[in-house]
Amino acid sequence: MTRDEFLIEMQDVLQTEDKLSFDTVLGELSEWDSLAIMSTMAFLDRTFGVKTSMSDYTSMNTIEDIAVKAGI
Amino acid sequence: MPCFSFDQRFIVAGASHGIGKDVSLLLNEYGASVICIARNEKVLSILKDEAKYPEYIFIEQKDLAHDVEHIPTYIRQLKEKYGKFQGMAFCAGTGEVKPVRAVDLDELRKVFEINFFAPYMMAKAFADKRIHNGWGTSCVFISSVAAIRCDKGQSVYASSKAALSASVKSIARECASLGVRFNCVSPSAINTRLLHTNSPEILEKQAELYPMGVGDVRDVSNLIVYLLSNEAKWITTQNYIIDCGAIL
Repeated sequence: MTRDEFLIEMQDVLQTEDKLSFDTVLGELSEWDSLAIMSTMAFLDRTFGVKTSMSDYTSMNTIEDIAVKAGI
Repeated sequence: MPCFSFDQRFIVAGASHGIGKDVSLLLNEYGASVICIARNEKVLSILKDEAKYPEYIFIEQKDLAHDVEHIPTYIRQLKEKYGKFQGMAFCAGTGEVKPVRAVDLDELRKVFEINFFAPYMMAKAFADKRIHNGWGTSCVFISSVAAIRCDKGQSVYASSKAALSASVKSIARECASLGVRFNCVSPSAINTRLLHTNSPEILEKQAELYPMGVGDVRDVSNLIVYLLSNEAKWITTQNYIIDCGAIL
């Protein structure tokens, strides 16, 4: 998966109409709540085989941090 | 009386017959735009002819059970075509009376495909705030009293409807913060084509259960349209039995 494709996927995972970039700050998205975190966890697990836990997300600030976890 | 405007667009799945057809006609009569989805385009065009404002009835021929996985994508395509939706009524369903020993796994899967997987994926589509109007959006699914009072021969039908009403409750809670309401209605025997697939003996037995006789489609569609309207803005996560008091 390319970085651009990753952004498109994240757009769907977070179901946001705001245009995402790697610099987008998660805490500034109104969609970024516990359900969004669980959806992100499922996405990383299903697509990249990367297991994360809720606590991993407290140290993540941007979309880039999620991409790093995914290895993108 | 519920009141709508034509810039409020509703999707009705299973709009060609029975309750789905009546919900479409009633929504339209009260001034809403209705996107009617069903397998049979010809039957849908008859519905358009019967509508009070046919120019606000939009026909989409689609077999939802055929491509359940892509229902959310399909609904997003419809959103691109029509604009954001105010709500949805899921009225497609199947089911016949059959004892457990006569049921095979393929048939079990087929009923779940139509009665549970398809409406579930429709609910998933409406959990995406990019396709609806946010606060005021309302979705109604038809479950059944069979899911509560399971009679002989209803194991497949009843379990698929019970799965639906249970999942709708959970989804309703997830989506409450988006301002989207999700409810079920659980009718008993209603005078529709589906009911008349039963044998005359079963129909006779059914009729005896209801103190005021078997229900009409309008009895149910009135409730559904009310739940879709803003009159019901504080009602979500519910499953309303509408059975003329047959279950006490």
